[in-house]
Amino acid sequence: MGVKMSEKKYTKDHEWVSIDNDIATIGISNHAQESLGDIVFIELPSVGKSANAKDEICVVESVKAASDIYAPIDGEIVEVNNNLEGDAAIINQDAENTGWIFKMKVSNPSQYDELMTEDEYKNFLEQ
Amino acid sequence: MPLDIPLKKFHVANGAKMVPFAGFNMPINYKQGIINEHKNVRKHSGIFDVSHMGQVLIETNYLHINNLERYIPLKLNNLRKNKSNYTFLLNENGGVVDDLIVSLIDINSKSFLYIVYNASRKNEDEKIFFKCAPKAEILHEKNCLFAIQGPESIEVLNNIIDLPSEMNFLDIEVLKYKKNSVIVSRSGYTGEDGFEISISTKHAEVFVKDLLENKNTMLCGLGSRDSLRLEAGLSLYGHELNENITPIEAGLSWALDKDRLNDSSLNGNKILSDQLHNKPLNKKIGLVSVNRSMLRDGMILFDTNKNNIGKITSGCFSPNLNKSIAIGYVNSNFNIENEIFCEIRNKMELVKKTSLPFVKKNYKKNGSKNE
Repeated sequence: MGVKMSEKKYTKDHEWVSIDNDIATIGISNHAQESLGDIVFIELPSVGKSANAKDEICVVESVKAASDIYAPIDGEIVEVNNNLEGDAAIINQDAENTGWIFKMKVSNPSQYDELMTEDEYKNFLEQ
Repeated sequence: MPLDIPLKKFHVANGAKMVPFAGFNMPINYKQGIINEHKNVRKHSGIFDVSHMGQVLIETNYLHINNLERYIPLKLNNLRKNKSNYTFLLNENGGVVDDLIVSLIDINSKSFLYIVYNASRKNEDEKIFFKCAPKAEILHEKNCLFAIQGPESIEVLNNIIDLPSEMNFLDIEVLKYKKNSVIVSRSGYTGEDGFEISISTKHAEVFVKDLLENKNTMLCGLGSRDSLRLEAGLSLYGHELNENITPIEAGLSWALDKDRLNDSSLNGNKILSDQLHNKPLNKKIGLVSVNRSMLRDGMILFDTNKNNIGKITSGCFSPNLNKSIAIGYVNSNFNIENEIFCEIRNKMELVKKTSLPFVKKNYKKNGSKNE
C-alpha cells in the first residue's frame, strides 16, 4: 500500500483539500476553474507563511477577474506548485490534481473534518 | 432583471456562458473559452451577437439634421451616402454622452441616418434622438445585430450574401439575404477586417447557422470582443469615455469635424476648441505589464515619488502579446518618459508605457473583396 491519502474535501469558497498525515494539499475545485475561465496568472504564497482558516493566501487571475484563494484550515505553507508560475492554465486542465496550488502543515486537523465531502459540495453547488 | 437578446436559447444551446452586461444577459464566452475565441478571430474569423446594442433610423430632413447637429460634431448634411462615421453625442460641456456609428443609407428610396449606439446608453441616447426626431424608428426592436470579424470574414459572409465587388472599411450597403433586406457595413470593433449585419429577428437564427457552415469560424462572446478591442487600442464607453471626458481628452480629436468647433450651435464647442489649441488636462496612454500580474480597470498609476498621476480605464490579458495590457489616463504634466508604477494589491509594480494600438489594425482599405 502507498501513502494513505485522505478523502478530498471542499470549502464554500471552492477550494479542495486532501490530507496526507499532517500535510494538506490545496487547490481550487473544477467548478471554480470553470467559472473563472482561462487562468493566466497566479501569485503564489511564500513558503513558511502561517495562516488561519479564511485568510487570503494567494490570488488567481483569469482573463475575466482576480480571485482570492483562502486558507481552508490553520497551518503553515510548506510547499507551492512552481509549475503554475510559467503555466497557470494547468489549473484549467487539471484543477483537482496536477493543478494543486500549495501545501500546508496542518495545525488543527479537526477543521478538516468540518469541511464538505464531495457529495455535500455537489449539493452545495446545486443550491 | 436583465433582458434577453432574441437568440438567447440558441446561444445557450451552443454552450454560451451568459452574464449580465448593460442590462442584458449576454454570452461572455462559449465552451472553447475567451483566449481561443480571441485567437480564432485574429487567425480566421468569429461571430458576435451584439443585438443588445441600440439601432435607430432617422429620416434625413433639414429639421432632424439641424437638431442632431447640436449633439453630433459632424456636418451631417455633407455625409457621404453608404459611408459610416465614428462620432459622438456631446453634452453641454463637450463630454461624451455616447460614442456612435452614424451612416447615411437609402431604404426603399428614402434617405436615413442609421445610428448604432451602446446598450448601456440607450436611455440617454434615445432621449436625444426622440427630441431631435420624434418619429425616429428604434430598429433594434425588430432587428438583431451581428458582427463577423477576422481576416476570413469576407469569405464567410460572401458565401451567403452577395457582397459588392468594391467594399472598403466603413462602407455600408443595404443588401439581400435570401430576398430579405439586411444592412451590411464593413466595420467592427476588433481591429480586424469584418462586417456588421443588421437583420430581421425572424431570419437571425438561420443566418447565424448559415455563417457557422464555415468550419473555421466560431461563435464568440463579449470576453474576446473586449480583449480584441483593447489590443486594437479602441475606446469603450464607461471606461475610456464618459460624460466628464471630451473626445479630445480621449485622444479622439480625429473624429471631430474641426469646422464644427467654431459653430456655437454645437454643444461644448468653446471648451473643445480651447482644448484643441491648448493642452487637455489628461492624456491617454497604453501600458503593458512588466511581470505577469494583470492590469485592471480602476487601478491607480504613480510616478517614482509615489505621486498619483492617473489611472487605468481598461485592462486585460492580451492573448497576442501573452501579457497584460491596459489603457489609462495620466496627467498631461507628467513626463511620459519617466517610470510609471501601478498599484496592484497594495504593491507598486513597474509598468511600461507603449504606443497604441497594441496590435496593428487590419482594416480593408481601397481594395476589392477578392484581394
